[in-house]
Amino acid sequence: MRNAVAAALGAALLAVTAAGCGGDSSSSSRTGTAATAPAAECPKAWRGDWQQIANRIQASVYCPSWMPPPLDGAIEGEYSNVSGVSDDRSYLVSFLFLDREAGGVAGEIHVNFRGYPGSTEIPTCEDTRTDRGKTTRVEIPCFSDPRGIKEVGGEEVTVYTVNQGIDQWHVLYAWEHDASLYTVSQHVIAPTPLTKAMRNLDRVMRGLERLEPAT
Amino acid sequence: MRVTRGRLLGGAAASALGAAGVYELVDRIGSKPARPAATGTPIEQHVLTGVRIVDDAGVEVVVPPLHHRVVTASVRADPGRRALRDARAELERLLAALDADYPPTPAGLGVTVAWGLPWFRTALGGALLAKLPRDRRATGTRGRDVLVLEDAERFPSDPDDTILEANDVAVLLRSDRLEAIEDAHGRLFAGVGRELFRVTSIRKGFAGGGFDGGTGIPKQRAVAAGITGAELIPDGAELFLGFTSTQSHALGPPAIANFETLGYVELGDSRLVGGTHMHLSRIDENLNAWYLNFDHRERLDTTFRPGLDVPPEQLTVPQGPDDVQTADQLRDDYARHRRIGHSGSLQPASRLDRQTVGPDGTVYPKGTAVPHRADFNTLDNPFAWSADPARDRMSDAPSAGVHFVIFNPTSDDFRRVRLAMDGVLPDGTELGFDARSRGQGFNAILRTTHRQNFLVPPRGERSFPLVLP
Repeated sequence: MRNAVAAALGAALLAVTAAGCGGDSSSSSRTGTAATAPAAECPKAWRGDWQQIANRIQASVYCPSWMPPPLDGAIEGEYSNVSGVSDDRSYLVSFLFLDREAGGVAGEIHVNFRGYPGSTEIPTCEDTRTDRGKTTRVEIPCFSDPRGIKEVGGEEVTVYTVNQGIDQWHVLYAWEHDASLYTVSQHVIAPTPLTKAMRNLDRVMRGLERLEPAT
Repeated sequence: MRVTRGRLLGGAAASALGAAGVYELVDRIGSKPARPAATGTPIEQHVLTGVRIVDDAGVEVVVPPLHHRVVTASVRADPGRRALRDARAELERLLAALDADYPPTPAGLGVTVAWGLPWFRTALGGALLAKLPRDRRATGTRGRDVLVLEDAERFPSDPDDTILEANDVAVLLRSDRLEAIEDAHGRLFAGVGRELFRVTSIRKGFAGGGFDGGTGIPKQRAVAAGITGAELIPDGAELFLGFTSTQSHALGPPAIANFETLGYVELGDSRLVGGTHMHLSRIDENLNAWYLNFDHRERLDTTFRPGLDVPPEQLTVPQGPDDVQTADQLRDDYARHRRIGHSGSLQPASRLDRQTVGPDGTVYPKGTAVPHRADFNTLDNPFAWSADPARDRMSDAPSAGVHFVIFNPTSDDFRRVRLAMDGVLPDGTELGFDARSRGQGFNAILRTTHRQNFLVPPRGERSFPLVLP
């Protein structure tokens, strides 16, 4: 009996966040699958830099129309953390707000967007451990511990809770489009517990506009 | 009636979630499991009767009491013989009254009175070495007299600021009914008890509650308290870290941890037959790191042993004699993976390496576990109350942790097991881990704040032990 309960963990986690977003019917739908919901639209002030990435990687890029406050989606903006395109055309766009107080950081809002054009495989990260001067390197999946699949913003996303690199300590949504893998993640840290981070990601997903390469 | 998640959260929101509120809530959310009837009062203080066994994933599991409390104190009584005799009679009167009112079961009340070295030093003075039992094995390996009770020490994975405590006495209270614990607490430490003891700390906690389905108390409490990462605790988990830890085979059978059972102890004073040793520590658990940095594979590897194949929904993993790891297997795991499992690392020190027959004729097969665990989760930070809040680094913010209580025959036996957890095997082999290395996943997310060792006399000598000639 306990196993059955435990097996429902992922579903329960998804249900909590779905319930939390149940009243948010005014949010726009990116794909327009709901006839009454307007398509999400990336703000003009943010669109240019996202479009440049799409053009550079020659693949779709997802531009947000809503971000967890106080973040915005301006790649060259106040909250831009790091952004770049790798040789394999994968991209990373990261936004960060640090709530500084005397003596340290009181809280953080950190959201990352990634895309892996031409591949739907979960990328591999290197886990490096050093004990008594001996270094061990092990290849591990960059996103793991799947907690369930749900449809949000017209995409079928898998929720991962153990992630690596700049997505470490984040809850991450991953989905596929046009034989490519895309992700968005948020750091689970004060003032954003897991359920709130997932509600935020749900809203980010519903606000994404897919931009196609223009050149 | 079981309380729904909605009711729980509503109740939590309505309370201020202060130290008292946190634990009052536990009694409301913890439905009491059905318990078998008591089967008499054992001579051991640390043994509970009427313990329920359930089958979980084909594994026998001991259902722990829902509520736990440890009260530590210093002794007020004058160390003079007459004062100690009076104190002994008074405390025994209080304890006997509790015995009369509650059977020593989870459905009733388990009361364990344990005494620290500071008190024995005060009470026995120069007779300490002559009166306390000697650890034969440790005396042999260290080449000097070693008592069954030693001062606590910091282990390799402990932070430098782990506080080594010096309480005179610790009283462990265990029950499915919080009101039974409150009653005993009041009777032992208020009124007449206040003349016997000056309380130094109060430590509260809980375990289990999910064996009959639904969400266990640890997850309910951690979520309600807003502990980061708590939502990822599996619903039915017995403890914050997810996996069940009270498999029958992982716990020593009733009398195995007694001083007299395995031949580790030169008892001396026969009044201590049925006694044992208790280690008490408080450990912070970083749930966010455990659930957001370690995936299922790594949690499994570092909780049990690398390569174990268990599906994510299974929380109870077999720990029988056939599942025990040897020191050679640990060395092999370390060589291949630079990683050892928590349970696996303990087993060469915590399980019998040969069949042993106790003085009462009980046969303990090779691979039998020796320690009795009585640990419980807590949101104390680090305690529910402290007489020295500055020293104990007290905070009002709830923090996930464990009050670790374990009964071994001697301090050295506990020490051997605890060192093995840090990769120092009983034969002296040191597996090369840095302190709190990720290769020992458990250690990486634990920080011990307090430690102390105690002697647990048998029931007949539990009150101010050995003060009578």
